[in-house]
Amino acid sequence: MKSNLASAACLTGLVMIMGPLLVHPGAAGSLITGTVKASGLSTNAGAVVYLQQAPGTFPPSTETMDQKKMQFIPHVMAVVAGSTVKFLNSDPTPHNVFSPDNEKYNLGTWPQGQSKDYVFSKCTKFPCAYTQLCRVHPEMEGFIVVLQNRYFGVSDREGKFEIKDVPPGSYTVGVWHPKLKGQPKPVVVEAGKSAVVDFTLAR
Amino acid sequence: MADLLGFGGRAALRALALTLIGVCAWDVGTASAIPAFARKYATSCQTCHSIFPKLNAFGVAFRLSGYRMPKETEEMVKEKPVSLGAPAYKKLWPNAVWPGEISSAVPLALNVKFAYVNTSALNGDGSTATSNHDFQFPQELNMFAAGTLGDHISYLAEVTFVENPDTSVTVAIEHANLAFDSPFGPENLLHIRIGKMMPNVVDGFQEMQIMTGAGIDSLFAYNPIGPNGGTGLAGDASPSPIALPVSVRGIEGYGIIKHRAMWVAGVANGISPGTNGRFDGNNAKDVYARFDYKLGGMGLDGDTGGQKEIPAQNWRDDSLRVGAFVYRGDGSHINFPFTLADGSAITIQDTHFLRTGLYASLYVRDLNVIAAYVRGNDTLSQFDEAAVPLAVVDATYHAWFTEADYVFYPWLHGAFRYETVSNGDPGEPSLRTAVFNASALIRANVKAIVEYRRDLRHGENHSLNGVMRFAF
Ligand SMILES: [Cu+2]
Repeated sequence: MKSNLASAACLTGLVMIMGPLLVHPGAAGSLITGTVKASGLSTNAGAVVYLQQAPGTFPPSTETMDQKKMQFIPHVMAVVAGSTVKFLNSDPTPHNVFSPDNEKYNLGTWPQGQSKDYVFSKCTKFPCAYTQLCRVHPEMEGFIVVLQNRYFGVSDREGKFEIKDVPPGSYTVGVWHPKLKGQPKPVVVEAGKSAVVDFTLAR
Repeated sequence: MADLLGFGGRAALRALALTLIGVCAWDVGTASAIPAFARKYATSCQTCHSIFPKLNAFGVAFRLSGYRMPKETEEMVKEKPVSLGAPAYKKLWPNAVWPGEISSAVPLALNVKFAYVNTSALNGDGSTATSNHDFQFPQELNMFAAGTLGDHISYLAEVTFVENPDTSVTVAIEHANLAFDSPFGPENLLHIRIGKMMPNVVDGFQEMQIMTGAGIDSLFAYNPIGPNGGTGLAGDASPSPIALPVSVRGIEGYGIIKHRAMWVAGVANGISPGTNGRFDGNNAKDVYARFDYKLGGMGLDGDTGGQKEIPAQNWRDDSLRVGAFVYRGDGSHINFPFTLADGSAITIQDTHFLRTGLYASLYVRDLNVIAAYVRGNDTLSQFDEAAVPLAVVDATYHAWFTEADYVFYPWLHGAFRYETVSNGDPGEPSLRTAVFNASALIRANVKAIVEYRRDLRHGENHSLNGVMRFAF
């Protein structure tokens, strides 16, 4: 039970700060920006910050996840439900793509210059995170997060993210990270104004 | 064929052979897992090994390409090398030293092996010697240095330290070789290796490509020399006779033709050591050659062009590789002493010996079956104590082994091996050995093995070992 106590203490110790609303006069669309702090990690990159639910329907898109220098690039990608991800191999060595998560898939192994598509249409409870692995190179790892809407951003090394063109309204902003967790936060987006939301993530 | 041995002499030789089987019962080959490469490319052991040291198809291609990834690009090397000259100096040659590279970190790797040993061996007098529950922690430590020196040069060195029960340490340079990789011509068509090395004439059926840990004594540790031909395994005799060498000092050329064929041609010292500080036992050189072809699966150079579907599991490689090889040796003027049944001392020279053999490796999904056959022919010239020629015996032995390796889980493999030798001495019954192995990866670089080995002719000779190996 010691570990439970420790983690509880840890969680209460991380006080979430609601971002103050900043006014950007003349901004074309409403922007949500902020910083994600990944406690204890060497980088703040790779957190997906997203609106948990937004009204309307969102057309799927086609994105590319490359395998280059024996890495999945980008390391973390977010897509709207129903989107297609083109898994490209840019290395001279064959790579495999499979995911042990959710409905699970194995797309096979293919050589340089070729790609295979996968349609992420089976997610029912957002967000759905799919770890991307390669059987040929067990050290390779990537992530695809499937979301309900297109209002999301992925943090950079400094932890900065941007969610663009958000229609005015009240939302809950969620955050997903490969290793850490963070509490969702409410945000009110007003027309022509930017909102700032910061997150501190912990185990 | 001259029958110089009476029945009593045969029995004595047989007893000697049995003792030697006992001695060799846990004769292990050299370890070859080189985490220096894992660091250099920031990749897992499993990129090249199914369970180390067994190579997968990509690992075979990596080794044959001169410790390079097939079609390697600069960005695949995560550990940036130190330049020993700007590339532009190539234009100035011969007025400048050709530019090269060295790795920024010392490319060292260690393999450590612990063995929990239980053996039983039939002695010459009919008694059985057993040794149980011996913690050989560690049994051996191998130190590797390996890598590339710029575009067309690669190297491998391996030093093994074995601590003996009396705390003395035996150190052996198992490998030390330099290779010129594709110095000219198409990629991989020609590699030239110089040094002490595993000759590629035995590629595919020594420890880097089989799951069992015990050396294949039938092929590599057989003693073909005897008054009527070989009668059993060679011990630690010096000079040591050659069945097939696991290691040679020599110069070798090899290459890959159109992804699928491999050629090998080499020249080596042969039976050694010599006298007066010589490594070679005589002035003659041994020569060897081999030709392989691989159908299906990944090309020998890592090419995937001919594959309809590349398997998702990195140990799979549905394919058939076949090879034919020949090793020709000259052991004239190298004396092996023998005592005949009547007490007279003679010496035998293996004046000419020829090994011809076939190799095959079949991969079907999670199963890999490997087999090799060797026909050994020896011209054995006998001399009395005054070096007067007595007789010349022409002896032929046949040795083969087959092994089935199966992947139950990516981390758990099982193997079964059967090996046999029909002795060169026709009066001697054949040697037959079975080996069972279960290998488990605890981590990609830590493995546990249980291996049982049994002499099928004399069940008193057997061993059961638990082995833990780790590489870092
Ligand atoms: Cu890969």
